[in-house]
Amino acid sequence: MLSFLSFLLCNALIACAFAGSDYHERLLLRPLPQSTLLASFNFRSNESSVTYEQQNFRLFPRSLGQILQHAHTKELHLRFSVGRWDAENWGQRPWYGAREGSNGVELWAWIEANTEDEAFSRWLTLVNNLSGLFCASLNFIDATKTIRPVISFDPEGDHASTSNLHLLHGTLPHEVVCTENLTPFLKLLPCKGKAGISSLLDGHKLFDAAFQTMALDVRPVCETPGENCIVEMEQTVDMVLDIARSKRPRDNPIPRPLPIEEIECDTSKPYNAPDTCYPLDKRTEPAWNLTEVFGKSLKGACPLTATEGPESETLCINTPPERTIQVNTTGQYTESLSASDTLRCYKLPTGAEFDLVLPEQRMTTGLVRGEPHLYAARSINGHGQERGSVQVVIKNPSTTDPVEFAYLESLPWFMKPYLHTIRVNVPTSTEDPLKETYYRPAVDRVRGTHLELRLVVPPASTLTLTYDFEKAILRYTEYPPDANRGFDAPPAVIRILGPFQSADRKGLYLRTTPLLLSLPTPDFSMPYNVIILTSTVMALGFGNIFNLLVRRLVGADEVPEVAGGLKGIVQGKIQWLMGLFGKHQKSE
Amino acid sequence: MALDAKQKAALFAGAGALRLLLFQAFPSLPNRLAGRVELSTPVSSFKRLQEGLYLYTHNVSPYDGGVYHQAPLLLPLLSLLPSASDHPLATNLLFTVVDLLSAHALGQIADTGRAASTRLFTSSRKSIRWSSAAIVAGYLFSPFTLAACMARSTSALTNLCILTAMAKASQGASTTFLLVLSAASYLSMHPLLLFPPLLALLYDARLDRSKSAPSPLTFTVMHTFGLLVACGALLVASALLTGSWDFLEATYGVRLLLPDLTPNVGLWWYFFIEMFDSFRDFFLGVFWLHVASYTPGLTIRLRTQPLFVAATLTGIFAIFTPYPSVADAALYLSLIPLFRHLFPLMRYTFLASASVLYASFLGPAFYHLWVYAGSGNANFFYAITLVWSLGLSIIVGDSLYAALRDELDVERPELRDKEVKRI
Repeated sequence: MLSFLSFLLCNALIACAFAGSDYHERLLLRPLPQSTLLASFNFRSNESSVTYEQQNFRLFPRSLGQILQHAHTKELHLRFSVGRWDAENWGQRPWYGAREGSNGVELWAWIEANTEDEAFSRWLTLVNNLSGLFCASLNFIDATKTIRPVISFDPEGDHASTSNLHLLHGTLPHEVVCTENLTPFLKLLPCKGKAGISSLLDGHKLFDAAFQTMALDVRPVCETPGENCIVEMEQTVDMVLDIARSKRPRDNPIPRPLPIEEIECDTSKPYNAPDTCYPLDKRTEPAWNLTEVFGKSLKGACPLTATEGPESETLCINTPPERTIQVNTTGQYTESLSASDTLRCYKLPTGAEFDLVLPEQRMTTGLVRGEPHLYAARSINGHGQERGSVQVVIKNPSTTDPVEFAYLESLPWFMKPYLHTIRVNVPTSTEDPLKETYYRPAVDRVRGTHLELRLVVPPASTLTLTYDFEKAILRYTEYPPDANRGFDAPPAVIRILGPFQSADRKGLYLRTTPLLLSLPTPDFSMPYNVIILTSTVMALGFGNIFNLLVRRLVGADEVPEVAGGLKGIVQGKIQWLMGLFGKHQKSE
Repeated sequence: MALDAKQKAALFAGAGALRLLLFQAFPSLPNRLAGRVELSTPVSSFKRLQEGLYLYTHNVSPYDGGVYHQAPLLLPLLSLLPSASDHPLATNLLFTVVDLLSAHALGQIADTGRAASTRLFTSSRKSIRWSSAAIVAGYLFSPFTLAACMARSTSALTNLCILTAMAKASQGASTTFLLVLSAASYLSMHPLLLFPPLLALLYDARLDRSKSAPSPLTFTVMHTFGLLVACGALLVASALLTGSWDFLEATYGVRLLLPDLTPNVGLWWYFFIEMFDSFRDFFLGVFWLHVASYTPGLTIRLRTQPLFVAATLTGIFAIFTPYPSVADAALYLSLIPLFRHLFPLMRYTFLASASVLYASFLGPAFYHLWVYAGSGNANFFYAITLVWSLGLSIIVGDSLYAALRDELDVERPELRDKEVKRI
């Protein structure tokens, strides 16, 4: 519990915005269980809204600013993510879910427009422009992937009037996030990955991580309503690195077994011998340093960050105080311990490389880890390609507080949920946990399903939500080239409404993993065969019936005996020729 | 040879009891059957009807979505019933009663004897016939009818309306005929194509009853107008109920344009999955024109036997409409026994019944191989639907040949039992 409190405190410290300088950056390192390391990068640049409107960009990137102004976007949130946050082992998400996405790309924005149609056309402009800026397939967010959430999102920024702001939300769960998305992301930073903590970001390590998410958030912030407004751009990168995996040298990445002397063996096993070993879990924290883990060295502080005060401390590590940390640098640096002792922050030297070295160490106190407010898992039940049911299991670990949350589902049109089959079940309570439902059904090829539920899960209980769905079969041109891989259904977004509240307006979120739907597939190789065979059957029916209808039945002996086939045709021709010849003779 | 009351009561009680017994003894069977693509199409599925009801009772327009494609007036009627998932008995009773009423209508058609002898034509073989009881039993105990009833697909309602329209037309009851035929057309659109032959049947029946009937032209105009008014009233009532005309696109638009390509026993779904996008609209037009072309052709050629034309058209619907199901085939196959006098003239009964049986056994198996086992592909089920359609179209063609041959025997009795040729 104590570690949890200190954890809360340190997060509050980091989250606390300080309006001194216009550019802030901070890297928080937190060792997690099973030899993993969370690295949470945060970059924030401010631009006064007056200069922003005048297109006089200083720290705010011009490329992004112009796109936002062109599309009349007042607030923007963009997520690129790969992997799954393992809440059971890793605990609370670093930004309480407010900056972490789930697999693929997720984008939502508040767009200023007078009508819904205008908002949608501006949204299309926005996604197409961002698609070019981030080298991502964001342009595939069309009407079928766009929804307008009702209770799951609130604006984070201060908006003068919210009446003509439209929230639009789109996801691309199948988008593969990779290094071509990181490069434009780093280019938006004032130090462009050349100095400061961003110099640690390397595509090879970032996209090799067990979980990684990149977020871009733009919002207007006002000191007092309508005055002294700034446009704040926040970029965050969170990654969970497997330390052993990251330490493998790039030119020799194949894992090899440790020599037996380095393995801790279970000597109680009967087969234990000098050459046989049952390895025990290591009870020591692994040794690592920044250069090894990130594959790049930290090139000192970014000169644009504050030089004094807590904002100048751009590298923090969140470990129990007993953990030994050595600093390896040639420049000037300062180290400060926070009151709770579990957070050590460093002010980086400018122009000199900086490295933290943590030796292998046996620890007596546990790692710093926050308990999530909810655990959520979503899966598909049933077999076959025709139908199935979705099951969402949400667990409330708190023993005292019921948790109220909003559950947002944005499903592709070819996955057709049956709302009458929704069952919400909490075994420990008789009260109906389903408080409110917003539902907009899908229309084939026009829009997807939008389902939002407000639910309450009682303390120390598990809520199970299930509903049936049917999978549509598509036209053969609508399948992607890898049709048998299946289609992705976007992750569900869970927003905690109460009693927990976030310190700022970011909100508390959870995202489930996406679902993989295997749809029935036609045979892609035979459109011609199908057209021919079906037409043959229809022609047989039609020909047979109309042949009977338009012809007359007569006795078989009444018909002149004319041999059919080729012989008949030839005989007929000969008769015709003879007739012609005969006529000719007559006229002569 | 009218159905005597005792026999009829026993037959109906037996059929009703069998259905209720099946519903009670196998509580999971109705839902399992409702999930079969052979029985439930997107325009008749009971699960989709339930979804529509749920949305309707929760004030969400069921037509602002891609799931519910059935008629709007079903919603307030069926919302009176208790929920099918909690109290299935009411729904089961409803569908049992619908089946019994359809059988009753079929019995009435058989009782009028218009299958073999009409005003303008009397078959020379009219003595060869089955009793009404046998025909009704054939409908009530046909495995196809039973499966369709258990699946609770709304095709059962369409079938009831079609059979009642036929019965009323053969009895010469104009108003009821117009009402039920417009209800059938309102529910499934294609029964509208039955209007010309049934109008001819009605005219014949009226003329039989009273010798001073109106002129054919006045009669046609009057009844066409009546049908338009009845259909229009149903549509306006639906629009008032749902508050907009959106339902037209979601119900008839779906039947016309086929956006939902869920597999069924018909010929359209796979054809339009594989169709090239630029030709889709053209072939939709061609296919609908093809379905519609049978009505004038058959009605004109077989003007003297309008009931046979109507029955043949139900067969055509079971093969060539966009969303046919086994329930449609069940309707056609139970109308065939009315024409028992044509059986001796049919030539391919073995081939046709063998292919229908073959398709009914292999269809579910091949669908399983494709969708569940993954060891077959879509072509397996597609091939079976081809066989099914071919089998039914052989029956249609063969019975048509038999009807024409029967007609020839009356026109030229000297050709009876002799070999004939088509010229």
